[in-house]
Amino acid sequence: MKKGKVLFLLILIFSLLVGCNAAPPTSGKKNEAKSEKLSWNNKKDLKGEEITLLWVNTDGANGPRGKILKEFTKDTGIKVKELAVDYNSLYNKITTAVLSNSADIDLAEMDTIWAGQFMEGGIAYDLADTVPKEVQKKYTQSSLSSVMYKDQLAAVPFFSSTKHFYWNKELLAKAGYNSPPKTWDEFREMSKKLTKNGVYGSAWSWKQAEGLNCDFVSLVYGFGGKFFDEKGAPVFNKGGGLKALQYMVDLTQKDKTVDPASLQWSEDDVKNAFSTGKIAMMTNWEGMYPDLNDPSKSKVVDKTDVGLMPGNGDVKSAAVTGSEGISLMKDSKHKQAALEFLKWMSTKKFQLPLFKNDGMYPTTEGLYDDPDLKAADKTKTVDKVMKQFEYGQNRPNAPGYVEWADILSAEIHEALLGKKSAKVALDTAAKKIKKAIEESK
Amino acid sequence: MEKSAGKSAKFRLMGKKKRKDLLFAVILLLPTFYILFKTFLFPIYQSLVWSMYKYHMLDGSDVVFVGFSNFTALFKNHDFWTATYFTGYFTVISTVAELVLGLFSALLLNQMFRGRVFFRMIIIIPWAMLTLVNGLLWKWIFQPGNGSFTIILKKIHVLSASENPLWLADAHNIINSVVVADVWKMTPFMTLLLLAGLQAIPSTLYEAAMMDGAGFWKKLWYVTIPQLFPILMIAVVLRTIAAFRVYDILTVFTGDPTTSISYLTFNKAFRYFYLGEASAMAWVSTAIILVFIVLYIRMLKKNSHEV
Repeated sequence: MKKGKVLFLLILIFSLLVGCNAAPPTSGKKNEAKSEKLSWNNKKDLKGEEITLLWVNTDGANGPRGKILKEFTKDTGIKVKELAVDYNSLYNKITTAVLSNSADIDLAEMDTIWAGQFMEGGIAYDLADTVPKEVQKKYTQSSLSSVMYKDQLAAVPFFSSTKHFYWNKELLAKAGYNSPPKTWDEFREMSKKLTKNGVYGSAWSWKQAEGLNCDFVSLVYGFGGKFFDEKGAPVFNKGGGLKALQYMVDLTQKDKTVDPASLQWSEDDVKNAFSTGKIAMMTNWEGMYPDLNDPSKSKVVDKTDVGLMPGNGDVKSAAVTGSEGISLMKDSKHKQAALEFLKWMSTKKFQLPLFKNDGMYPTTEGLYDDPDLKAADKTKTVDKVMKQFEYGQNRPNAPGYVEWADILSAEIHEALLGKKSAKVALDTAAKKIKKAIEESK
Repeated sequence: MEKSAGKSAKFRLMGKKKRKDLLFAVILLLPTFYILFKTFLFPIYQSLVWSMYKYHMLDGSDVVFVGFSNFTALFKNHDFWTATYFTGYFTVISTVAELVLGLFSALLLNQMFRGRVFFRMIIIIPWAMLTLVNGLLWKWIFQPGNGSFTIILKKIHVLSASENPLWLADAHNIINSVVVADVWKMTPFMTLLLLAGLQAIPSTLYEAAMMDGAGFWKKLWYVTIPQLFPILMIAVVLRTIAAFRVYDILTVFTGDPTTSISYLTFNKAFRYFYLGEASAMAWVSTAIILVFIVLYIRMLKKNSHEV
């Protein structure tokens, strides 16, 4: 009797399960939602609508990013519900929302390398036809190219970014240098002299993560190499690419001028170390500046400067780009109101306060000559930072990049730990990535 | 046939009120069943189906039925075995360490002494902390150079002054560091479980043992441990299952997914969106845990029969 009941229940559950279709959708793409007409120059009244924005904000509702949202509501009457996360949680938050078919999120911050997944996976709404061509032209080339995937517009540019070269003027002067290195060879020589008494020549974000790939990309192009070729195949294991990794290995293993903790540090850790005055040089993103000159957070107030990343041979400078955009989610139920935010984001009302208080660089060309921006630039770094944007190098944004990047950072990290030679590490990475590209066809 | 006839007869004989009650019970159960079905049973079944497809959700490629090739590819995958090795290593070392430390601190807290309540209370703090907070805390402790772990080891001369290991760079070091952080956090859990078990042991047993001339170790070996065995087993099962799924603290320490199966599975599922392969991986690791659990339960049953 008891066994019969259990059996009955099992058969019931089993038949229910089989009755439901559990197979993945075969078309590969989600069924296209009927797209309503969106207009960049909207005339409809959107007051009282509420949109949900997922972005990086670790300063809370009264930080620079929290405040700007209140400004937006004041200006347009559209309410914004903010989902604030740190950068490392952002991607997971977006993708889990997508997997659950949730329409809760209207807008989400997008890193440049996710554009392929956002478009191929049907996460983001293609804005290419919505944002007028003449408006698109107003963005800086680098910020626009970082949100384009093929000919689709995966997001509206949010801020412009590359890595930059920072140095501690005091430490350099003590070692007899009054200018930063122009080439990576000079950098190496200077590092040797700077490393003494607990001070290291440089520190890097070489934890096994995307930050490691970013520095590698800067160096690959700095040594005249190439990351991926035009067809999308990895070529970083030849020429400049190989030289770049060999150089990184030499700095850590042979010269020992790199703070050894670099191998477990991300960008923020490097910034913290640099602000204690024990690191002479570093590469890092923008946004160092309100903090490095804040006496409560930094011991190097007014002792540091920023400039071009070193180059080598014919290359004057090269730096990886890290610009981001904000995407309109395909499943959003408030597309028009969300679009209003994207439009507002591209104006001075948004860009200037965030430059002032958050160290974020504008996406529109015109703003860089704006007198208000120049006035807000207390550290006089705008021109120096701007110059680096001309030497920006993009990472690929194909949908497979997230996986390739994990493969690459694992191999580079092995080489830096001295477990593999630079050549073997890069060859292995290239081979694995080629295989991954092959399999995803 | 006879059975079902009897059943329906019984149902008819139940009387109107009883039948109504049964119907009411079924109606009350239905929402729970529906929710459990949708959120628990169906996804498990779905992942089994998905594990036989090549299903790359976000790269626009076609969905193809591939049979068991996701599984065979998995067994040939070097990363998977590395992750399995590290997960096994972590599970064994951390569970054993927590068990031993937990047992001794439970014995200690079972004694009568001044401030016992205070110590019983504060021991819960590490366990009550969020895993991620614990991770961030230990990430600071494990900083090379000026991190307190390095400094303390140097003070007690485990490390020489010139040594400066990178605790969170190399995969082996990372796992050992995670073991330390996990032992710190989860030993209180063991302690609490075992403490509860210790208090259930009648003191007459100890008195009898003392009459026979048993010292501390003998009492521990012949009275405490056998009496505590069922609880020990439960504690070990719970810790093994939880330890085998280690994931969140690793994301704070490293970007290296081969340090744990869960990390690798998560990356496949929610970073690359290779949902077929990820489902296969999840099923394999579930099978491994199931083997453990079955073994434990058998041991537990055998033991309870003997007692």
